[in-house]
Amino acid sequence: MTKREHLLKIGVSGIRGVVGEFLTPALACAFAQAFGTYTGRGRVILGRDTRSSGPMLEHAVTCGLLSVGCDVVQVGVLPTPTIQMYVAATGALGGIALTASHNPPEYNALKLFNEQGQFFNHYERGELIDLFHQGEFTDAGNFELGTISQEFSTPARMHFERVLKCVNRERIRQRNFHAAIDAVNGAGSILTPHFLEHELGCRLEAISVDPTQPFPREAEPTPQSLGDLKELMKRTGAEIGFAQDPDGDRLAVAKPDGTLLDNDEVLALVVDAVLSRMPGNVVVNLTTSSVIDEVAAWHGCKVFRSAVGEANVVERMLAHQAVIGGEGSNGGIIFPTVHFCRDSYTGMAFLLDRMAETGLGITELAARLPKFHRASTKVGFQHGRLAGIIQATEARFPEARADRTDGLKLTFTDGAWLHVRSSNTEPLMRLSVESREADRTQMLLKAGTDILGS
Amino acid sequence: MASLRISQVGVRGVVGRGGITARHVLDFGAAFATFLATEGPVVIARDPRASGLMLREGLVAALLAAGRDVIDLGIASTPVIQHTIRQRQAAGGVSISASHNAAEWNALKFFGPVGTYLTTAEADELLDIYHLRRFYAAPWNKLGQVELDSSAIDRYLDELSEVFHFDQLRQFRVVVDCSNGTSSRILRRLNERFGFSLILINAAMDGRFAHEPSTSARVVGLQLAPLVQPLAADAGFLFDADSDRVAFATELGEPVSEELILPMLSDYLLPRSEGKIVLTNLSTTSLNEEVASWHGGKVVRVPVGRNAAIDALNAHRPEQIALAGEGTGAVMMPQFRFVYDGIATMLTLLEKSAARQQPLSQLVAAMPRYSMLKGEVPLKRHRIPQLLELLATALGEGKINRQDGLRVDLPSGRWGDNAWFHVRVSQTEPFVRVIAEARGAAPQDLFDEVMETTRAHA
Repeated sequence: MTKREHLLKIGVSGIRGVVGEFLTPALACAFAQAFGTYTGRGRVILGRDTRSSGPMLEHAVTCGLLSVGCDVVQVGVLPTPTIQMYVAATGALGGIALTASHNPPEYNALKLFNEQGQFFNHYERGELIDLFHQGEFTDAGNFELGTISQEFSTPARMHFERVLKCVNRERIRQRNFHAAIDAVNGAGSILTPHFLEHELGCRLEAISVDPTQPFPREAEPTPQSLGDLKELMKRTGAEIGFAQDPDGDRLAVAKPDGTLLDNDEVLALVVDAVLSRMPGNVVVNLTTSSVIDEVAAWHGCKVFRSAVGEANVVERMLAHQAVIGGEGSNGGIIFPTVHFCRDSYTGMAFLLDRMAETGLGITELAARLPKFHRASTKVGFQHGRLAGIIQATEARFPEARADRTDGLKLTFTDGAWLHVRSSNTEPLMRLSVESREADRTQMLLKAGTDILGS
Repeated sequence: MASLRISQVGVRGVVGRGGITARHVLDFGAAFATFLATEGPVVIARDPRASGLMLREGLVAALLAAGRDVIDLGIASTPVIQHTIRQRQAAGGVSISASHNAAEWNALKFFGPVGTYLTTAEADELLDIYHLRRFYAAPWNKLGQVELDSSAIDRYLDELSEVFHFDQLRQFRVVVDCSNGTSSRILRRLNERFGFSLILINAAMDGRFAHEPSTSARVVGLQLAPLVQPLAADAGFLFDADSDRVAFATELGEPVSEELILPMLSDYLLPRSEGKIVLTNLSTTSLNEEVASWHGGKVVRVPVGRNAAIDALNAHRPEQIALAGEGTGAVMMPQFRFVYDGIATMLTLLEKSAARQQPLSQLVAAMPRYSMLKGEVPLKRHRIPQLLELLATALGEGKINRQDGLRVDLPSGRWGDNAWFHVRVSQTEPFVRVIAEARGAAPQDLFDEVMETTRAHA
């Protein structure tokens, strides 16, 4: 069997692919026409990250939106959360962010938002895909065609105001934190240094903050990709380091020694900070660590779990009126008071606020969290294998409680768990395990890997 | 009437409503980028039509995706694009304008390096690539970039100022009907920078047209001509939306047939030119031959359409040509690099008036009178070969030219002096066009006979 590369994927998460022969302007334009046909005539917010294909796709999508009678508000290079929040704040009918998020630079994608500035839910996505395939788009006549306007500075100002209202800004400023940032030359390149330096009074060490340059590292902020940040932390003695992905929804956090906090720990610290101010329900995805449940228990709050993916988490958050949520698996923090989206700026502000409040460093804050041992791995996807793997896994551990919301999650009586699922965005199957003991985690990982590999 | 036409001329149609879609624009942009043989950016501009933005966005996306840098002039005329292609050593250009069509129409016109219209062979090639749909896509990290060039109109005016004696011309008091097109922006700059006192009407560029932007005596008569005498102007000029054509009224407020522009310019330019050829198409007035004969010139006639004119230009040495033009008020002159240019044409007519020290009405009166009748018949039965044969047999005792439909120049006698007719299928609209002309009075009988035969077969 030849290996299929996912050079183009049109599906429930929108349209994503390698720019060139695969993600063409004609395809992007047609998808925008389907989107505008779905939203109806009115304003649509359009922004992008710093990928080299951004301007080309911006023109193609603008063309498509104008042709179906939508007025296009171009907001230029902005983080995805800023675009989402601006859609909701301005009463637009929807929004499109041109970003392939953490995917490599040759990829780009259209992220689609409804009038609440949220990812399309399951039903909206289905209808949009049907419209796209039917290819019968609104046929705006000459004087019904849309117009273009541009709004480059207001969205970020509104976003930051919302975040800063939720923390004690003066307390943070007084500490004059020595912080570091790696913005991967992405959408946060200009805004994040402004946010940390001017809004939060940090002494800032900044790298990869030139939006005109290509990504200097792998786009996803991981321990492997953040060597430069680690080196910067050690050299400058910064107290805390932040790293974003190209569209600024994901956040990674580094300790003074340059090592990264686990994403689950970052989420747990933010959950703790939020619940200490406003107790309420928490929603995380199935692959997120049980550390969240323990932290929520400190505040007497409940945790609900959703399938993996921002849209799924947001759907559950809405259903449970959650005050905080996110995905430990990928560094996403969702704080509805600012907006129903993954927002790295909320994360940065709450962590600095917690440090200012407690007088503790990020290392000490993390050390107070209960210890879990997590491990994960991924294997190339082969069609038709998922069902067999799920059945084999369940048969191997008949004593565990099974949850089939998203692949299979087995939870054992001691709280340990194993989760196997297929990726939403890449042709991969992912296996994650967690327990309180390193040995048990390794045992579960090996058992799961054996089943995947067999 | 059909609302979309894809042909050698490019793509032209009503926007939406079964006409031009975003997809047409993206595919034609991609085809053009694939077609271009030389390295270099592509110059684009648009007229003020409401649909111009949508077309621009699609065109830019397609060009960038093919790795072409784009020089966007914003709202600018077709001649400005053509000059910019040469000045910036671009690989080609695209004009987003349906020139003389109504506001809800739009079109893409394509230009090669040096800024000329495509030849027939090139236009065929572009159309083949469009239909083949195998477009070149640049790798993700080799996409083009957009540059906004806001000084192109000024550079164009600088070039005009080198060709014309502005100090002689700025004395004229001229009313200009901009037809809500690109001439508004250019002529406003001409006033600002060079002290002209052109009075501009219909100068708003909001995508709405006060009237059809067509350069004909009929449209000149609507709003422009009645203003000339009350404003004590020396002339009234009217441009189409992309300013490559012009029509005018005299200082007496009389609209002048657009057919007269080319012979009036030949009369002025032939004595000054080394070249003695006047290049025009088969549908223009025979006055061209008469005027050329005054100055030892020779008229070369080719099929209607820009591509055919470019083919003919390429078949001669540039110094052989005195000027080239259509009966629509589109003229190109060698001193202005063979670009159909309404504004240059206006300036040349004013220059002639200054040189002869005669007002426009006298220059018009000096032209022998020819009368032309024009008609069009919707294309339904498509028995065009039979139609042409029948006409050639019934009326063909004269000189027959079959390069583009059928033109017959009839011997003097039954139909009057210098009588001729031309029947052809339009390239841009689904019509058979019929033209009959004679020196002196209109050849009504000839016209009626040809129209009747045409109706029976078209």
